[in-house]
Amino acid sequence: MKINPCAAIIGAGRTRFTERWEEDPKAMIGMAGMKAFESVDKGIKRNEIEAGFFGSFLYQVTNKIGLVPGYMSRELGLNVPMINTEAACASGGLALHNACLGIESGRYNAILVAGFEKMSDRQDKIIDDLMFAADPYEFEAGYNFPGLYATMMTRYMYEFGNNDSRCSEALAQISAKNHHHCIKNKYAQFKDKGEISVEDVLNSRMIANPIRILHSSPISDGAVALIITKPEIAKKYTDTPIYIMSSQEATDHVSLYTRNKITSVMSTRLAVDQALKETGLTINDIDIAEAHDCFSIEEAFFLEDSGFYDEGKAWKNIYESYESFKGSGHIPYLKNGKELTVNLGGGLKADGHPVGATGIRQAFEVFKQLRKEANENQIDREVNTAMCHNVGGTGGIATVHILARDIQ
Amino acid sequence: MSEPIARRNLLVEYRLRTTKCLNCGDTYFPPKYFCNNEGRSSKMLEVDNFYEKGEFYSGSVINEPTNRFNHLDTFVSAIISFRESKVSIPGRITDYIAPKAIKVEEFVGKKVIPRFRRSYSDGRDGLIHYSSHNFSLEDDYYTHQKYKVTKPTNINGKPGIVGYGVYLPKFRIKNDEPALGVLERSLPFADEDTTTFAVESGKRAIIHSAINNNEVRKCFVGSESSPYVVKPSMATVIQVLELGEKMNGGFFSGGIDSQFACKAATDLIIDAAGLVAYPVFKGKYVMVIGADNSQASPGDRLDYTVGAGGVALIFGRDDVIATLDHYLPYTSDTPDFYRREGEKYPRHGGRFTGQPAYFKHVVTSMKTLMKNTGLKNNDINHVAIHSPNAKFPVQAAQEAGFEKKQFETGLVVKKIGNLYSGSTLAALSAILDIAKPGERILMTSYGSGSGSESYIFTVTNQIEEKRKQAISVKEQVENPKKEYVDYHTYRKWKDISYH
Repeated sequence: MKINPCAAIIGAGRTRFTERWEEDPKAMIGMAGMKAFESVDKGIKRNEIEAGFFGSFLYQVTNKIGLVPGYMSRELGLNVPMINTEAACASGGLALHNACLGIESGRYNAILVAGFEKMSDRQDKIIDDLMFAADPYEFEAGYNFPGLYATMMTRYMYEFGNNDSRCSEALAQISAKNHHHCIKNKYAQFKDKGEISVEDVLNSRMIANPIRILHSSPISDGAVALIITKPEIAKKYTDTPIYIMSSQEATDHVSLYTRNKITSVMSTRLAVDQALKETGLTINDIDIAEAHDCFSIEEAFFLEDSGFYDEGKAWKNIYESYESFKGSGHIPYLKNGKELTVNLGGGLKADGHPVGATGIRQAFEVFKQLRKEANENQIDREVNTAMCHNVGGTGGIATVHILARDIQ
Repeated sequence: MSEPIARRNLLVEYRLRTTKCLNCGDTYFPPKYFCNNEGRSSKMLEVDNFYEKGEFYSGSVINEPTNRFNHLDTFVSAIISFRESKVSIPGRITDYIAPKAIKVEEFVGKKVIPRFRRSYSDGRDGLIHYSSHNFSLEDDYYTHQKYKVTKPTNINGKPGIVGYGVYLPKFRIKNDEPALGVLERSLPFADEDTTTFAVESGKRAIIHSAINNNEVRKCFVGSESSPYVVKPSMATVIQVLELGEKMNGGFFSGGIDSQFACKAATDLIIDAAGLVAYPVFKGKYVMVIGADNSQASPGDRLDYTVGAGGVALIFGRDDVIATLDHYLPYTSDTPDFYRREGEKYPRHGGRFTGQPAYFKHVVTSMKTLMKNTGLKNNDINHVAIHSPNAKFPVQAAQEAGFEKKQFETGLVVKKIGNLYSGSTLAALSAILDIAKPGERILMTSYGSGSGSESYIFTVTNQIEEKRKQAISVKEQVENPKKEYVDYHTYRKWKDISYH
């Protein structure tokens, strides 16, 4: 691995993801930010923060809050440069990417990066609001957001499923696995729900055939904050910074119908390729990954788009990995003796998906796992290298980050 | 959605507009005005897929729609690919009630046909949004019709009907017992209304006529269930069917929405025929459409006779299939049936709608025209009469001295219900479907309020040549893919599409 990280995470904090009916957005953000500051081992003063990068998707539309930098200036008591990033579900990942560029450019030494979303405020129209992550003509065609992923899933099953019932079982296993991963994650939305079975998924309410409610991430409220610094000063704040080795963004058409292919996500492929190239790694060098599983099919796409499994082969491998698992800990994906454990805190499906917070939450999870601070939910094997994969819309944008603890 | 966005969208969505690079052939939806390959040197051509057949690429059954579409309950949204133009477009499958448990993969590869339908409305006082991003399955109720313009051979003749199009929706309701002879009726699907009927029937009339749509210079839409009180369905028809020469997103054509109860359209036939012969008009064709989502108060006796659909006629002087030979109108202020501004359903005068209203006007107009022309009843081969039910036209025809063999072909009301403004025209169309060259047709309309007019047409040799391009009334009445719904669904769909 190349040893020139672009940034280092020195602190991270988050709220539990859930429906936070009685809290207003600023209370959530304040709580996550406070925890991030408190988590810095050797402490950091607020006035050392030189910029704020934020990710939120629907604040203007759903919560009627605009001018996020000004809003955050008051909440943080800072007058430093701030920027809000909107990239649908990848708003958080893109905020982190932009913050990395801010560090890499040499302009800033320390940045607060936060992602947040308060979706329950307009549960009456959130299905409509989420369509801002799609193409207007798709909205006009009657699509809801799950319907778009269902269209990708239909085509995937048509091209690669061979009418084999194990294909739909495998896609249900992804949800069951992610629920299994969340039950020891104290922040997870479905921590208290307990395990769900493959049968539960396959018998759950159909919302956009073939996608069922238990294939889908929930409506969530939550906030997550990170403090990142230049790599060379990180140890001033902590002995175990987590280094961001590569930060990549790639884009593709917002619309499904103009893409050459809808059984994979090109923006993911491009961003993963760039990240691996920059770090000199292969996908087989990645120990754990936080993948964007807004719907379980997207986790399957990640496994193929990242190159871990061949195109069209993910479902068979998911099925075999799940069926062969005997333990009680995290369930890894297997490939020729190699293990890749994905979504250790439950992913979007079970940890929750407050849209703008998700990309930052992925980095939070990796930060905790690589520092062995995930408590009861700590993975039971030695891990050092992680990938975070955040997708906006149905693939109009993807951000990919590779993170590592020990880089020498 | 704001009005400016609505205007921009309709320019693309009404005709499935795309652009094609003349250098590399790449096609774009939504239209782009420079090519990704050729850049600023590209020359882009606007093309549309309005008459094309598409293919289901992939999709989903939307069980929990957005607020915009929740009036449709459960439906299929999909990516439709057009192989010929190598472009894909998002759309919705219409005229299809998706079962809860289906394998969507089984739709992949199915052929689909674009339909002009209502997408949603911005509340009861907001805009209604229409598009052609709605597709019916080809192996279902509709067949695909190719649109081909044919150069006319018989030009500048006597004005008359150049072509016609009948549009009857796929869905029907059966009456438990015949209501004044009406056995079953057509009704709108949840995304249909009077304007969509007008457009679909107009589209069929253009295909049947084989004329160039740019040569139609006037369009009349008669109805008593227009979705807007102020905003003409006619303008939508012109925009969708591109009637008149195109200029800057508009068309050199005009028209009007008319109302005179059930004879809102037929009243304008004489005007249409007159215009095409009037030198100042400078247009070759006029389109007359009668379309209605016929309304009746729930539970009223009319609620068991009303139907839904549209009929379009194109008038001109080239390759006419039936010349217009005689005409006589008859009008009085007779308050038999009416609807006040702001009221949802019409009121009627019960038995007063019969003898002093319908029969008086219809029979007077028929008998007087026959007398004026000097024709005998046996000079008439077919009689088409406005059909509020299946008994009134029979009685009126018999009072005027006509026999069953002359009027039975036009009695389509039994199986489709009263199409209000389209009723007489549907009867006429059923006759044109089978009429032979040289035969005479007497058509008598009726509109409450009240008036009636009679026309006599003579069928020409041209009718047989054009017949292969028509979808006959019989085909639609007897279509094995028609689907019956219960009274609850009928009322729900009828009301959605009215407001």
